[in-house]
Amino acid sequence: MIDLALKMLLDEKARFAATVLGVGFAAALVLVQVGIFAGLLQNASITIERLDADLWVASRNAPNIDFGNPFPERYVDRVRSIPGVERADNLIVWYAFVALPTGAKESVEFYGLEDFPAWHFPWDVTSGDPADLRRGRFVLLDASAERRFGAFQPGDFREFNGRQLKIIGRTRGALSFTTSPIAFVDYRMAQLLAPADLDGRTTFLLIRLAPGADVETVRAEVRKRLPYNDVYTRDEWAARSRAYWIESTGLGLTLALTVGLGALVGVVIVGQTLYASTTEHLADFGTVKALGGGNRTVFGIIAEQATFAAALGFGLAVGLTWALAPVLERLDMKMIVSPMLMALVYAGTQALCLAAASMSFRKVATTDPAIVFRG
Amino acid sequence: MIVLEAHDVSKVYREGPHEVHALRGVSLSVRRGEVLAIEGPSGSGKTTLLSVLGCLLTPTSGRIVVDGREVDPHRPGQLRELRRHAIGFVFQQFHLFAALTAAENVIYGLNLRGWTGEKARREAERVLRSVGLGERMDFRPRDLSGGQRQRVAVARALAGPSSLILADEPTGNLDGESGARVLDLFRSLARSEGRALVIVTHDPRVRTIADRVVTIRDGRITHEELEN
Repeated sequence: MIDLALKMLLDEKARFAATVLGVGFAAALVLVQVGIFAGLLQNASITIERLDADLWVASRNAPNIDFGNPFPERYVDRVRSIPGVERADNLIVWYAFVALPTGAKESVEFYGLEDFPAWHFPWDVTSGDPADLRRGRFVLLDASAERRFGAFQPGDFREFNGRQLKIIGRTRGALSFTTSPIAFVDYRMAQLLAPADLDGRTTFLLIRLAPGADVETVRAEVRKRLPYNDVYTRDEWAARSRAYWIESTGLGLTLALTVGLGALVGVVIVGQTLYASTTEHLADFGTVKALGGGNRTVFGIIAEQATFAAALGFGLAVGLTWALAPVLERLDMKMIVSPMLMALVYAGTQALCLAAASMSFRKVATTDPAIVFRG
Repeated sequence: MIVLEAHDVSKVYREGPHEVHALRGVSLSVRRGEVLAIEGPSGSGKTTLLSVLGCLLTPTSGRIVVDGREVDPHRPGQLRELRRHAIGFVFQQFHLFAALTAAENVIYGLNLRGWTGEKARREAERVLRSVGLGERMDFRPRDLSGGQRQRVAVARALAGPSSLILADEPTGNLDGESGARVLDLFRSLARSEGRALVIVTHDPRVRTIADRVVTIRDGRITHEELEN
C-alpha cells in the first residue's frame, strides 16, 4: 500500500518540521512543568515518606509537616502505653535563622529527634553519623543548603539562633517545599534553639506499630487519649501536606493553566498547519474521492498525519525534557517524569493532535469530488 | 457491448430562488472500444454531464447505467464502488499526487481499487510502459513534462479493470505535439484494451480519433455525428 499521508508529509519537510517542533515544545512544556511540580510536591512530603512511622500525631488542624503547632511533649507517654504501639517518639520540625560567614542570615528548617537511627532518618547520610547528634552541640546539614549557605564542610561551625553548632556531617535529598534548607539536630537541642515556643513541647508524635497491630484500632485509641490532636497514617499525612501546597498557593491552578496553555499551543499549531495543508491539498483529496476513496479514506490520511506529528513531537519533547534534566539538577530542582506521566502526556498529545485534525475533517467532508473537473 | 447508458438525464442547480438547468434530458450510450467526443461551448453543461456520467454528481432525474449496473443516486457507497472499479478518470489539470512518483501515483489508484503488493506493482509497470513511460516510473510529477504527466494520468485511469474512461479536456494543458501524442495513445488504448472512452473537449483534433461526436448546448444534445 502506498502511504499517501506519510509521503505528503515528507514532501513538505519544512512545514512538517514546524509542526513537529510546535508539538514538541508544547508537549515538553507540559512534561517539564508537571515534572517539576511533581518534584516540588515530592519535597513537600519526602520526609514523611522516609520516616519509618506508621502514624503521625499533629496539633489540631496542622496543615502540613512544615507548619506544625507545638503541644505538650508528655503526650508521648499516653501513646507509648497503647497496646500495638512498638515505639513512639517526639519529633520537632521548626525554623531557625543561621548566621552565615558573610554576615547574612538565612532560615533553616530543623528536625529534632532523640534517636534518629531508630527511625532510619535521615535516609541518605553522605558523611557523619546521626547517632552522634545527641552527644553535643552538633548538626547535620543537607548538601542542598550550600546554594543558600555557601560551601560548608564537617567540622565547620555555624550559628543557629545565636547558638554555635558544629556541622558533623552531610545528608542528601532532604528538601522542603518551603525551599528552606533542612538540618538535623538532637531533640533537646531543637528545644534549646527556640525555647520560647518549644520548651517542654513538641510539634509531632511518631508512632511505629508492633507487627500484626491493626492501624485503625491503634489510631482510635490514640484519638481517645489525645482528643485535641489529629492522627494520620503516613499516606494521609503526606497527601495532606501536598494538598496544602497545591490548594493554598494556587500552584495547582497555575500548573493547570500552564498545562492547558501548552495543550492549546499544540492544538493551535497542529490544527493550523493541518488545516492549511488540507486547504492546499483539497484538489488531492477531491482526487482521492473521485478515484473511489470515501470520507473515511481522506479522514484516515489527515488523522495519520496528525498521529505521526504527535508521535514525533512527543519524541522531541522527551528529548528536550531529558536534555533539561541535568540543568535542573545543577539548580537543585527535582523533576519527576514518571512512566505514568509519560503515558498520559503521550495519550494527551495524540488525542489533542487528532482533535486539531478534526478541524480539517469538516473541510474535506464537504469537498465535492467533482472539484477535479474544475480548472 | 454497451458500457455506459444515460437516459433522459437532467441536472438542476438551485441558486437562491433561481433554478439553473445544467442538463436537460440528455440520453446517450457508449460501447466497449468506442471513443465518444463531447463538444460544446463553455457553460453548455459538458463538465456537469461528465461529472454525472462519472458518478461524481447525482442527476436530478433520469437514469445512468454503468457496466450494466443501474446507478442509484441515493447510495453513495455504490457511487464510490463504481468510481473505484468501473470508471477511470483523466483530468485537464492531471491531478497527480505531487508527493508520489509516477509509479506510486498509479499504484495508489490501484490501492483504492483493492489491488495491493506485487499485483499492483506489476499492473502499474504494465500501464506505464504502455503509455511510453517505462523509463520514467520513479520520476515525480514535477520532474515530468506536461505531456508526460498527462500520460501518467492516463496510465492511472487505465490501471485495473475499469471499462469506462472519462477524460476532461485531456489536451487542454498540453502543447500541440504532446496533445497529439496523448490522443494517439487514447485511440490505440481504446482499441487494444477495449475500453469505452468519453472525452469532453474543445480541441478539434479529438475528432480525428473519435468514433462519434455529440455537441451539447444549453444542457441539451443538439447534434450527433459519426466520425471514424
